[in-house]
Amino acid sequence: MIFLSAQPALDSRVHIPEIFKLAGIAIVIIGLALRLRPTIVVVTAAILTGLISNLPLFSNESVFTSIPFLTKPGQEGIINMLGRAFADNRLMILFIATLPAIGLAERYGLQEQAARFIRKLKAATVGRLLIIYQLFRVLMGILGIRLSGHPAFVRPLVFPMSLGAAEALAHTRTVESLPSAEVERIKAANSAAENYGNFYGQNLSPVLPGILLVYGVMKGLGYSLGLWTIVLYAIPIASLSVILGALQFWLLDLRERRRLAVKR
Amino acid sequence: MSLNAVYVLTGFVILAFAALTFKDRSNRHRLGTTLFWLLLGVIFVFGSAMPHWLTGLLVLSMVVLDGAGQVGRKSSNETTQSGQVPSKALTIGNKIFLVVLAIPLVTFAFAIAFRLFGLNSNDGAIVGLGYSAAGALLVGLILTKGSLTEAFQEGRRLNDAMGAVNILPPLLASLGIIFTASKISDLIATGIHKVIPGENLFLLIVANCLGMALFTMVMGNSFAAFPVITAGVLVPLIVRPFGVDPAMAAIITLTAGSTGTLMTPMAANFNIVPTALLDMRDQYGVIKFQAPFALTIWTCHIIVMWLLIRMF
Repeated sequence: MIFLSAQPALDSRVHIPEIFKLAGIAIVIIGLALRLRPTIVVVTAAILTGLISNLPLFSNESVFTSIPFLTKPGQEGIINMLGRAFADNRLMILFIATLPAIGLAERYGLQEQAARFIRKLKAATVGRLLIIYQLFRVLMGILGIRLSGHPAFVRPLVFPMSLGAAEALAHTRTVESLPSAEVERIKAANSAAENYGNFYGQNLSPVLPGILLVYGVMKGLGYSLGLWTIVLYAIPIASLSVILGALQFWLLDLRERRRLAVKR
Repeated sequence: MSLNAVYVLTGFVILAFAALTFKDRSNRHRLGTTLFWLLLGVIFVFGSAMPHWLTGLLVLSMVVLDGAGQVGRKSSNETTQSGQVPSKALTIGNKIFLVVLAIPLVTFAFAIAFRLFGLNSNDGAIVGLGYSAAGALLVGLILTKGSLTEAFQEGRRLNDAMGAVNILPPLLASLGIIFTASKISDLIATGIHKVIPGENLFLLIVANCLGMALFTMVMGNSFAAFPVITAGVLVPLIVRPFGVDPAMAAIITLTAGSTGTLMTPMAANFNIVPTALLDMRDQYGVIKFQAPFALTIWTCHIIVMWLLIRMF
């Protein structure tokens, strides 16, 4: 008896070493690495973490009042938290409501017109073209417009235009006569321009998911932030991304001028 | 004009997608997909009134449906080109941009109106986003003279292209909340405190940005890393003890994650798929090109956060 009372671990609750709580993070990492559905990975991690931490599945209320194992007095249940968090964060996916309008615009030539707009851009060099494209992506971000840039813009438009500029520089008319290492570099730079513009530009609009995620997560942690304040603080890094991107594409131009123009 | 009205409105859009899916006999996972969007629609319409345990169970059912592979997705590239109405596209021209521009314009107008009336302009932006959907649709219908059915079919096509991943952001927010309730955050915070002395703000900023970038690289998704790092490092070690502006610290932490996204093959959509699209020899070519940019801008994150804290 004396031994038992000296061991609080035996008082009906199982004590699991703190470190096992990190199992949830391990599940997220492994699950996503194995390319399992992210939805089920995230929810499994959440529920398991809650269970390991001795949280009840349900709150001790309504139909679940005093059911043993499922509830614990005075603690919010895991399923309740899941429902509460999801309902509170519906705002993160309000953009679904805009899909019929966007779909209609696409059906009547939205992407076509955007493509025509890009084609009008006159840029003599690959680097300058990519600087302009990155700015275009940032502008789309400010306007809150979501694009799938790689398949819709880079592959059909920006990349052929880049090749055209490189061919003009090398005074040739075929891709085959360009050094393949340089063509590969131009391909990589094209994809990078899309990613830079997309990643940092999308935080300049409060209707895109990045800002709404920050808003929702911080609200869950007890901080009620202004959406426009979050956007304001995204400006310094977005500006730096444009400057650094421009620098890298300018360096690319210098390099291509050496490698391609000298070839003649 | 309330937030709840906007949720209900969005709920009806989702329910319409569910109905169209049900009628689409060509969908291999017709019933599962219908049920998935039906449940989401119900959560949107009734979420503010339903008990949380019921919402939780509905969310769980949706996730199980997706996990069992019962939620169909159309391949995302069968989009626009084939479905376009080219002759009409020519006559509409650049005016088509008005449809998508109506979304930010209406959102902005609501935020300003809410501020003028002394209401919370956050709610204005969110409520505005909901009504902008209706506004843009109206502009679109007038401009294109297309039908409502057409709009909803196209909307469903876009929605299907994203599929169940649509609901990931609120699920990640739930993960953050459960991590916090499980005191995981405290565990991570204690771990970091063992390495870095609590009073060294600069090193804590470095740890925060490094943790965010590394975690994003492992998970391939900055949105997934954000709630964990925010609850485990940013809020308990930087925002709370030092009284740092939470909006500034949070958005800079999120973009520190984007830096990680630029350097990881796990973010296949952005770094690996393009190498296939452009037929590149080196699968990691895009990542290699991006790495110097990413490392430079990551360093800038630390400097900018530090300066903004010191200056204000």
